[in-house]
Amino acid sequence: MSQQNSSISSFKLFLTRIIVPVILAAAIAGWLFQRVFEKKVILSSEICGAYKVNRIINENDSNEVPIFGASMAQGGCIPHILGSDYFNYGLDGTGADVWLFFLKEECKKEKHTPLIIMNFSLDGLANSIGDISNYIYNADCPEVRELLGKHYKAYFSMPIIKYFGQYETYFRYFLNDKMNLTKYTDRGAAIEKNKMTKERFAQLVAERIKNKAVFENDAHLESEYTELFKNNPDRMFVIIITPYHSSYFTNFKNYPDAQDFLHRLGEMKNVRVFNFGKVNYPDSMFVNTTHLNYDGAVRFSKELKDSLATLNY
Amino acid sequence: MLAASCFFYMFFKPEYILILIFTIVIDYIAGIYLEKIEDRAKKRRFLIMSIIANIGVLAVFKYYNFINDNITGVAHLFGFSNHMPSLKMILPIGLSFHTFQAMSYTIEVYRGNQKAEKHFGIYALYVMFYPQLVAGPIERPQNMIHQFHEKKLFTYDNAALGLNLIGYGLFKKLVVADRLGVYVDQVFGNVDAANTSSSVIALLFYYFQIYCDFSAYSDIARGTAKFMGFDLMENFNRPYLSKNISEYWRRWHISLSSWFSDYLYTPLATAKRDWGKWGIIFALVITFLIAGLWHGAGWNFVIFGFLQGIALSYEFLTKKLRKRISAKMPKAIYNGGSLLLAFSYWTFSLIFFRSPTFTIAGKLIHKIAQMNFHFNLPQLCGEKGPLNLVLSFMVILALTLRFLLPRDMRLKYPAVFLTVITLAIIILGKDVAAEFIYFQF
Repeated sequence: MSQQNSSISSFKLFLTRIIVPVILAAAIAGWLFQRVFEKKVILSSEICGAYKVNRIINENDSNEVPIFGASMAQGGCIPHILGSDYFNYGLDGTGADVWLFFLKEECKKEKHTPLIIMNFSLDGLANSIGDISNYIYNADCPEVRELLGKHYKAYFSMPIIKYFGQYETYFRYFLNDKMNLTKYTDRGAAIEKNKMTKERFAQLVAERIKNKAVFENDAHLESEYTELFKNNPDRMFVIIITPYHSSYFTNFKNYPDAQDFLHRLGEMKNVRVFNFGKVNYPDSMFVNTTHLNYDGAVRFSKELKDSLATLNY
Repeated sequence: MLAASCFFYMFFKPEYILILIFTIVIDYIAGIYLEKIEDRAKKRRFLIMSIIANIGVLAVFKYYNFINDNITGVAHLFGFSNHMPSLKMILPIGLSFHTFQAMSYTIEVYRGNQKAEKHFGIYALYVMFYPQLVAGPIERPQNMIHQFHEKKLFTYDNAALGLNLIGYGLFKKLVVADRLGVYVDQVFGNVDAANTSSSVIALLFYYFQIYCDFSAYSDIARGTAKFMGFDLMENFNRPYLSKNISEYWRRWHISLSSWFSDYLYTPLATAKRDWGKWGIIFALVITFLIAGLWHGAGWNFVIFGFLQGIALSYEFLTKKLRKRISAKMPKAIYNGGSLLLAFSYWTFSLIFFRSPTFTIAGKLIHKIAQMNFHFNLPQLCGEKGPLNLVLSFMVILALTLRFLLPRDMRLKYPAVFLTVITLAIIILGKDVAAEFIYFQF
């Protein structure tokens, strides 16, 4: 009996001296840290995915021309070259489902300019959420939760632990945005500053030639895009393809299918297509066989600006 | 507790519980007979039978494909073919750990150091005790079985110490090991893109990764057991302070090295005592070749073990000479040099431990030997960015803070430690869902 009593009092001591203080202290300190971090780090770096998702949902600049897409858009389109109202929403590693989410949010807004720039990949329309850290800040928003689907985890809605394992990602964006250590940043764009060594680039080219490139559209996504373009006749959708290294086309299984798809889109009234995929850029302008570096992005942005000028918007 | 252990094991692959039951039944019966039988020859036969059953399970599940592949290779060399099929199955988790723990029981009963356990449930719990079932420490019956007979009550001290160990273990795993793993995986996964700097950094990181990963599991196992009132042996004793490879093996994975020392090295060395010092060397090399193989069915692990055996033999042969040298040198220089040398050798041998193939191990050694320290940021950062590299060095430095804490982790204010460690894990932890490295063994 006395043993049992001592065990019970031990447990009470354990609760009052360890469990309760640890939970309280960690909760208060963690919550304070999270609030400061969200305000000073996540929402103060324009290249951060979470910032972009928050911006598209909660902010409206009626003159803004958005650029949507994945890393090719993020690292290939320099807003200040294109004009003063451009903002790059490109999100590294994302697929057409995420761009569609951005497009839908954009189309809900009242705008003075109809222009929307979409960067498509020659691989076709596919689903890819990309880095989960892009969505946690807005994980409670119904549209974001719907987009995340099975990727949504209950702890994304729990304070303190919601960002477990992601703080570094946000901090990296923050450092790059403020210090431009490895990337040149400009209104959402993050362009690679470092140049590949010739040997490494040659390796990448060799690997690319070995691998087959295939254009393949997810049928559901294709129809959703077509519907969205049709249902928003007051907006002008500019589909762009950024330049690829010539090695990308060496083993391309069905490039004509990609061209057909782009041609079909281009026939729509409010869609224009600028395909720079096969425009020959020198090796020194690439980070790898599909992505441009800073020099390449500057050249491409200037050429894109000239093309956009032909639209008279 | 036994039910909880069964549930824990079956969480991975339920049907593999049958393997455990098979060895538990065999060893339980063997233990009782080993105690009952007086005749030494008969006793020996029972021991051999039990060992064959345990090794047999290991041989089938862990080494069959390795042996079969080698037979095929040799057969091809001589123009023959091998028609034995390969087995397509997942290695049961922690097989090498619980098999060795089970074997230590029958050997100790045979030697008369441990009474046979009559209670089947308690014996089964000795093999299956869930905190240490999948990655050790490999316990001895003398330390564990009596604890299962004792009534355990909740105590504040046990709970506090248990949580401290679990917290520190989680910090080492989620903050240090998993972070370092990002760089290590990148370099070992693409050796062609590495240069000397990134190869050396990857190797250095791997040293700390594997130490933190494995010692973290041991801490968590010890902490979980301690919380419930059970004491598990210490498996790591600050190995980075070792001044030679012999000391490394007294500080690193202590439960395994002492297992091999007690049940393989000592009997072998005793059997070959007529050979003089060569008997010791023979015992050392054989023991470490087998210790290498214990870690995995691959020639890279054999090489890892062989390198350990060679180093230990060298240290054995030069013991007197080194003592004379140390007497003539300032202590700090000799100790510092020894520490650096032992660390470098151990880390070098880890190339074979980590590389999935000989080709990759060879390429990495070649990259290091090239002495190409040309500064290229993406290459230096293992193409993972400078922040990851800086944080990786910082978490290694953070390990030194452990010296500020008491050796046994009995802290005056555990709540402060646990709050700090919880926040550190949430803020600095990596969410990479990486398994413990030693689960594969």
